[in-house]
Amino acid sequence: MAEIQIYGIRHHGPGSTRSLRAALNAFRPDCLLIEGPPDADDLIGLASHEGMVPPVALLVYRPDRPRDCAFFPFAAFSPEWVAMRYGIEAGASLRFIDLPHAIQLADGFGVARGESAPPDIEPHASAADAPSEEVTAVAPAAIRRDPLGELAEAAGFPDGERWWDAFIESRAGEDGDVFAAIAEAMTALREEAEPDPDDAFREEAREAHMRAAIRAASKTFERVAVICGAWHVPALLRHDARGQAGADAATLKGLPKTKVAAAWAPWSYERLATASGYRAGVLSPEWYDTLWNHGGQVSARWLSRAAALLRAEDLDASPASVIEAARLAEALAGFRGRARPSLEDLDEAARATLCFADDAPMRLIRRKLVIGERLGATPPDSSGTPVEADFAAQCKRLRLKPGADAGEITLDLRKETDLGKSHFLNRLRLLGIPWGERRQARGRGTFKEAWFLSWKPEWVVELVAASAEGGTVAEAAAGRVREHARNATRVAELSGLIATLLDADLADATGDVIQAINDRAAVSADVFDLMEALPPLAELARYGSVRSSDTAPVLAVVRGLVPRAAAGLVAACQSLDDGAAADARNRIVAVSGAVSLLEDQDLKATWQEALRALADQEHVHGRVVGRAVRLLFDDGMIAAGEAGDRLRRALSRASGAIAAAAWIEGFLENSGTVLIHGRGLLDVVDEWLGDLDPETFVELLPIVRRTFSTISAPERRAIGEALARPGGAPPGDEDGTRLFDAERATKVLPILRLLLGPEPARAAEAAIEGDAT
Amino acid sequence: MTTNGDKTAQLRRAAEDAFAEELAALRTSDGRPRPPNWQMSPQAVVTYLMGGRLPSGFEVSPKYIGDRRLMEIAVATLATDRALLLLGVPGTAKSWVSEHLAAAICGTSRLIVQGTAGTSEEAIRYGWNYALLLAKGPSREAVVSSPIMRAMNEGRIARVEELTRIPSETQDSFITVLSEKTLPIPELNEEVSAQKGFNLIATANNRDRGVNELSSALKRRFNTVVLPPPATIEAEIAIVESRVASLGRTFEIPAEPPGAAEIRRVVTIFRELREGVTADGKSKVKQPSGTLSTAEAISVVGSGLALAAHFGNGRLSAEDLVSGITGAVVKDPVQDAIVWREYLETVVKERADWKEFYRAARAGA
Repeated sequence: MAEIQIYGIRHHGPGSTRSLRAALNAFRPDCLLIEGPPDADDLIGLASHEGMVPPVALLVYRPDRPRDCAFFPFAAFSPEWVAMRYGIEAGASLRFIDLPHAIQLADGFGVARGESAPPDIEPHASAADAPSEEVTAVAPAAIRRDPLGELAEAAGFPDGERWWDAFIESRAGEDGDVFAAIAEAMTALREEAEPDPDDAFREEAREAHMRAAIRAASKTFERVAVICGAWHVPALLRHDARGQAGADAATLKGLPKTKVAAAWAPWSYERLATASGYRAGVLSPEWYDTLWNHGGQVSARWLSRAAALLRAEDLDASPASVIEAARLAEALAGFRGRARPSLEDLDEAARATLCFADDAPMRLIRRKLVIGERLGATPPDSSGTPVEADFAAQCKRLRLKPGADAGEITLDLRKETDLGKSHFLNRLRLLGIPWGERRQARGRGTFKEAWFLSWKPEWVVELVAASAEGGTVAEAAAGRVREHARNATRVAELSGLIATLLDADLADATGDVIQAINDRAAVSADVFDLMEALPPLAELARYGSVRSSDTAPVLAVVRGLVPRAAAGLVAACQSLDDGAAADARNRIVAVSGAVSLLEDQDLKATWQEALRALADQEHVHGRVVGRAVRLLFDDGMIAAGEAGDRLRRALSRASGAIAAAAWIEGFLENSGTVLIHGRGLLDVVDEWLGDLDPETFVELLPIVRRTFSTISAPERRAIGEALARPGGAPPGDEDGTRLFDAERATKVLPILRLLLGPEPARAAEAAIEGDAT
Repeated sequence: MTTNGDKTAQLRRAAEDAFAEELAALRTSDGRPRPPNWQMSPQAVVTYLMGGRLPSGFEVSPKYIGDRRLMEIAVATLATDRALLLLGVPGTAKSWVSEHLAAAICGTSRLIVQGTAGTSEEAIRYGWNYALLLAKGPSREAVVSSPIMRAMNEGRIARVEELTRIPSETQDSFITVLSEKTLPIPELNEEVSAQKGFNLIATANNRDRGVNELSSALKRRFNTVVLPPPATIEAEIAIVESRVASLGRTFEIPAEPPGAAEIRRVVTIFRELREGVTADGKSKVKQPSGTLSTAEAISVVGSGLALAAHFGNGRLSAEDLVSGITGAVVKDPVQDAIVWREYLETVVKERADWKEFYRAARAGA
């Protein structure tokens, strides 16, 4: 009969790994059974490949629905990883024994027995795992995921590893048999625990499958080592109990199955960290890495690294301070009744001595020394990640061929496949795969889109890298956008991103980008940045895009931006030089346009109030003030009389020629059409010029000429003609309507009816409408 | 030094007198090892600060309401012979913590140097009794010890209040004291060596640190602990309520006690602007240049009460609070005004039950 050892481990626990390595060296098993997906058995051998650098993850997914996938991340300090490496080196047989994901990911798994648990698998993250689930996770589930960590916390240890040191390793005695102690603890714990309300059947099936695998292995091998999460130990110990084989067979009978594929993918410490939403993650991968690589003097090493990190950033961190920090950490640990400082003690000591209680350097330490930035790598020939599979499936569905010759395609966005292609190409661009390049579409119409396609084989690497961010092309692209949104500093950059998201149909990420815009806008002191972001957002909010329908969130952002821009407008317009003033003028005009577009009275009032405050400024650049007055006049907020007064005041002799020139330029530039057709403005200007005494007129003439030179020659002529007409009436005004001869016009109606359609009523209507315009 | 006999009649009693009973109970029940010259073990000091029940059943009242770990770091710092620098905005109980630490560790909180722009080196090192100096020449009797020198001689804790208000060149006197633990008296060719148990607790305001920024040489000799503003809105409201009530008694303001809703509103505004994020955590807001400490919130409510009592109808209303709040928020007439305006338009305006306050603030802005 084979000898069987069951090692209950803590996922990603370096202390646990160290004990496991010692135990394996002593036991010398010829077969290792690891809690992991049997679907990936063929890939275990690659673990010792020289191109394989942890952290890496095994991905198991459904090729038909790559979104349904499970990740099994491994770091160098993960017990499972060390067991795999040990097994390969010792030439032992290696098997994963968890319930295959061919079953766990199958449709109807678990449902058949009257349960409707979501397909969420521990101890690994499922791709669909939303971070919000993390918050609502109930205590029993947490105990299942990391029972040892929970025990540690109950004992007052913030870090499960220190508890492992203090309670498991130091009490294990000479024989080093920590695992017997764990089995005992878990047996006690499981006697108390309620069965998992959500996922009892999954757990039962998984444990049944593991027990069956142990029984199978014990028939062929001499010494069998079983490596599984501590929680499962008591259940697996029952593998040879009487009647267990029959019960397990009954549990596993008739389970649904589907086709799955598996692949290795590069992983990162950031994704391993709990902070990223991975449910069996650890709080501090880099700290665990340090614990694993440098067992003894971690405190000194960690604090020295922190000091080096601060020095690299030009912050003061002397070796003397490191010594003081180490002393404080030791004192704190002693205080709290521990033999060695935990990460928390070190963190607090570094804060008090090295960082002078400043948060910014502590964030740096946290990013680099607690979570870490290590990236893994997989051998180049081990491709086959879900993103690649999704890419292939999408190409097939959309009839795009990566290998095909370069060429141009024109898409009609009203057709579903073409729209899909456009989304797909846009998503790939976000992933750094510019397969398609947008070209100017031939022919008119917003429904047409032209792309130039040219594929490069090396882009496969980008696809593999993208799998660290999601299971499908869409998810990975959304992940990239989120990252981009996190790093963007300007609001305008983010508002551009929103349009990109709509183009790529990544509605899920829109919320994150909108949140980012709100956050940046709230703390941004750069009002012009906000103003630059506003018009494209307003346009989106008003008209949507050709493809999208839901613009409510965009509208919410705009509503937040307008008051902010209004509040800072006057201050932002102080001390502008000519170039900056022209820029500011353009932004103000654009925002005014955007605000009118939204047709929201509240927003409009807020903005006009800001414009009015700007118009009252004495020392702001004339071009800005002039335009503010003009915008208010156009909106009817300032009467013609007041506008004239302001014009007179701004161009009075005391103002100085340069300021006056700037003012009238701001007031009138690019207004040819308005002067011709809008009677009010022309009257204001005309009256002002007419009232000038000859001396002042001569003085101001160059300035006025200069401004009018921005108006094109035909427009200038039309203005002159309008002024020359009796009463100065512009063309097409009331006088024009009197020329309209109803009798002659009616004669055209029969022809129009013929042209426009058979229904007489509608044709007549159209004819009348035509007259009106 | 107290010169008048009856301690109970003092306007304010020192911590070691006011809490003498608690300190005595802690000392008797404390079985853990004590650092040399400490009156109790570090653990007992933390219990004294945070409160708790002793094995004898004696109840120790909490002195500091907040994170226990901060007090542990502070006490561990003093136990490892490093000087402690308590930083925080006004009203975060820096001096209070410093006083109680000194009282618990060495039995006296009175060895204190109050930092001001006029603090001289004599106040930190030693001065001379000039009559004696002229009559007998330089001698040990003619030396007038500073609180720091006395603390060194006796192995006790010395306190420095408002360290950053002391001129930089005077601050430097601390460097020798902290690194060499001696105080040379060159006139006598002698020096005072610190006895075991000597240490220094300094407090400083970390918001207007521009006054006299600490040199990095001095900074390195301190372990820094920042005392944060109250962690939760409920804690802060409780502090404001109790302080306003006692203010009202002291100044005999005849107004009704303020409504809980008005206090909550003031505290909410202060917290949101201080932390740069709305109470629901959903959106960020710009932060003004002022500190907006709990102490200021208390004074805003206090002056609002006075306004209501003397010029209003005796009930604290939004109008009575607006001017105080605006004054506390808008310290810089340009930048802060934008911040306040933006806050009104994007946060206050959206809150259904804040309409009255919004109107009052708009009218005042």
